Amino acid sequence: MNTLLVIAMIAGRRCAIEAPQVASVIEIGAITPVPRTPDYIVGICAVRSQVLSVIDGRIAIGFEADQFPLDHRAFVAHQDGDAYAIRVDTIEDVCTALSEAEEIPGGFGEQWSKVARGFVETPMGPALLLDIEALILARDAFGAAA
Amino acid sequence: MDELLADFVAETREMLEASSGEIVAWEANPADRARLDAIFRFVHTVKGNCGFFDFPRLARLSHAAEDALADCRNGHRQPDSDLVSAVLAIIDRIAAMVDAIEAGESFPEGGDEALIDALGQSDAHLPASGTTTIETSGTNPPANRAQQRAEPHAKQRSIRLPVDLLDRVMSGVSDMVLARNDLAHRLRSAGNQPEIDGPFERLSTILSDVRDAITRMRMQRIETLFAALPRMVRDLSNDLGKQVMVDIQGGDVELDREMIEMIRDPLTHIIRNSVDHGIESPSDRLAKGKREMGFLTITARQAGNLISIVVSDDGAGLDDDAIAQKALAMGLISEDERGRMDRDSLLQVIFHPGLTTAQSVSSVSGRGVGLDVVQQNLERVGGSICVTSTKGVGTQFTLQIPLTLSIITGLTVDVSGQRFAIPQSYIEEIIHCSSKALDFTRIGETGLVTFRGKRVACLMLSEVLELAPSDVAEEDHTMIMVRLASGDLFALAVDGIHSHGDIVVKPLAPALMRARVYAGSTLLDDGQPVLLLDVTNIAEQANILSDLSARLRPSESEPQHEATHQPCRAMLFTDFEGRNCAIRLELVQRIETITSDAIDYSGSRPRAVIDGVTLPLAGLPKTRRSDDNVGEKLRLLHLSDGDSGGENALVYAVAQLKEAADLTNPLKPVHDDPLVEAITLLGHQSVSVLDGHALFAQYGDRPQPSDRPICRLPEGQWARTILGPLVTHAGYAIADLDDDRADIAICFDEESEDIASPGAGFDGPIVRLRKGHEASKSDATIYQYDREGLLDALKQARSGKGAAI
Repeated sequence: MNTLLVIAMIAGRRCAIEAPQVASVIEIGAITPVPRTPDYIVGICAVRSQVLSVIDGRIAIGFEADQFPLDHRAFVAHQDGDAYAIRVDTIEDVCTALSEAEEIPGGFGEQWSKVARGFVETPMGPALLLDIEALILARDAFGAAA
Repeated sequence: MDELLADFVAETREMLEASSGEIVAWEANPADRARLDAIFRFVHTVKGNCGFFDFPRLARLSHAAEDALADCRNGHRQPDSDLVSAVLAIIDRIAAMVDAIEAGESFPEGGDEALIDALGQSDAHLPASGTTTIETSGTNPPANRAQQRAEPHAKQRSIRLPVDLLDRVMSGVSDMVLARNDLAHRLRSAGNQPEIDGPFERLSTILSDVRDAITRMRMQRIETLFAALPRMVRDLSNDLGKQVMVDIQGGDVELDREMIEMIRDPLTHIIRNSVDHGIESPSDRLAKGKREMGFLTITARQAGNLISIVVSDDGAGLDDDAIAQKALAMGLISEDERGRMDRDSLLQVIFHPGLTTAQSVSSVSGRGVGLDVVQQNLERVGGSICVTSTKGVGTQFTLQIPLTLSIITGLTVDVSGQRFAIPQSYIEEIIHCSSKALDFTRIGETGLVTFRGKRVACLMLSEVLELAPSDVAEEDHTMIMVRLASGDLFALAVDGIHSHGDIVVKPLAPALMRARVYAGSTLLDDGQPVLLLDVTNIAEQANILSDLSARLRPSESEPQHEATHQPCRAMLFTDFEGRNCAIRLELVQRIETITSDAIDYSGSRPRAVIDGVTLPLAGLPKTRRSDDNVGEKLRLLHLSDGDSGGENALVYAVAQLKEAADLTNPLKPVHDDPLVEAITLLGHQSVSVLDGHALFAQYGDRPQPSDRPICRLPEGQWARTILGPLVTHAGYAIADLDDDRADIAICFDEESEDIASPGAGFDGPIVRLRKGHEASKSDATIYQYDREGLLDALKQARSGKGAAI
């Protein structure tokens, strides 16, 4: 309860990320593509002379990105000392959670279950609570296993 | 030793500070077991450390306290307030002694016994030792003591900082460099703005100073790494029943802290290897007529941006036959190759995975894992390793590592519309693909180029990176010849070169590193991020990395007779008679541009003065004299017969310089002009090819330093660094301090009497300088920053018109 959440649309679904997990929201400038990396890695970009790895959140979760709009802004999150920018459909708002994260019977579906911590009620309606760390590493685990 | 001592003092201080709270808490509650343990650990550590440093008084005090506390811990004794006070008194005494040690003075004698007695123990528990020893390293006589004690903290010259903080500062400065680059880019595109450019230049200078300082801050003496080695060798040789003496040199060489960590394991491994396999057992050594005790030398040296660490032993040396057999058995080399490999190249096989010649596997080494890992680890940080060895005499490993990891010189290249950076240290040469000498061909799908007579594999960077093929035609590519640390050479084809300069390397996220073609990223001047290529890994994935550097051999596919058909590369130009001429490119060292007044017509043949060296000048029309075309710029080809050591050189004046070209048509010898070797056709024009032999026979000469007049400067920093360059610029050579010969002297007015006096042996003109702006009593002096006046005086003196001014 009372946790601050960043609300975003990812792959057409309303998702919430706990604000402390989000370092900042940036305008995405020029992205340098990185050849020979998995498709969810869009490239690298520079923000205030920091290099960020840009990840497409939709592809990382397991969807096709081109069915959805793309926000010109992105979340920045840190994982193991590296900074990532995560691209989503739209970044909507910041608001307060109205409930604790809850599981629902039957789960959220194959792709979402890997990255979801549960669902929360927000002033904008129920939203899937995402674990950013799981999102960043979602496809990484595949890469390591392959 | 000083450094270790400083560490000891710092560590003890740190522990004292940390345990001061414990001491207070223990005082309040003597039965508190946790506090007791903490204090026990403290005195125990102090005892151990000072045994190492030979501080017997400290050792006695801490030992006594430790004994008393141990009794409490064992339950033999109940801590009471007397004991607590006694222990605290000892801890205070330890603190005071540590202060004294740091200040380098002796601590007042006596009083220790009383403290120890207060613990309520008999002397029997104490180590027997004299009571009069003075333990500190200070040499000050006791008389100075009081004065010294007054300022013990003023002597503290170092502080301890968390490494994280240093790293943060370093990355902050790196970012500042990037931000500066960004700003520079914006300023450039905004055009010239003197009022901004000036301060910006200043900022840039300060920033690079700071960057240098920070880089040095991260430097650590390699001693920190070396310090543990003697002990390791001792333990190891004891285990193995050998006797080894270690000699360590160059501990003061400084290295990036990170780099020290990177080489710790490789170095340890090599030393273990040397002690285990290299140095023989004492009986074997005696049998071979060597000293019983083996000798291991570890030396660190800095050479430019590289540190080389040499580990050499006087052991049995590597057995090349055993290595060859092993390599043959593993299929690394063929019999045929074995026959052609010299000993040195064969030895490098030991860096191949899985190869060991050890007869038995010991706990120390010989499991066949190791040297390959050592090599990999070193290559990862841009270093290299090689081995030389003489059988029966010893083995020497040479490790070369770059000074720092984070700032390197790099080349940025374009490929398929994208930009990448390549570390400069790997780049051997850059060649445009159109060059005939490169002879790019495709054998199947593999590209091959000829480089210095060898067939070298060529990788298309766009293919390596799985990028769309570029619009640039294959023959318009630029070839980057990459030389890996292992000695392997390959060509990397790119669309073009963008720029080169210092780049700040930033790490990449693991998911990106997993592509195994990137070493990091960096930001360009315009803030655009660029990926830094990992050329070693690229080569490895393309399977062009030979297992052995020795496999690189001259291409046998190319028959010998083809070599004679290699087109002759020549520089084309028009001479002063309007002829199309060519001269073999190998002869041309560089192109010089001089003004015609740098030509000296006084001798039988004209001579040109270039960078203070007089060279014979050929190619000018015979009618030309000194008064023609004053101030005209002349283009000269600087020719040299390339015989290093005593090379002959001359300059050849040309009317118009054209491009370099391949002379593919046959050369037809001609005999009417002695300086022309042959004529040939190039396109539809005939070209006279100059005869290098005849040119050098007629004109060639050893370069001679010109007889510049020598100027003597006043002594001191100002004269050397500020006045000197101006005087050199004015065409003078600077006299050595102890050199009596001088054609002119510059001195400050107040010193001029000394020089002008007959005893000084100087009778040339003297230029007198004054430090003040205002002319003083006489007008014969020149203000020291009056540039025009100084140059004028020097010029006059040179032309001999001016007497002493």
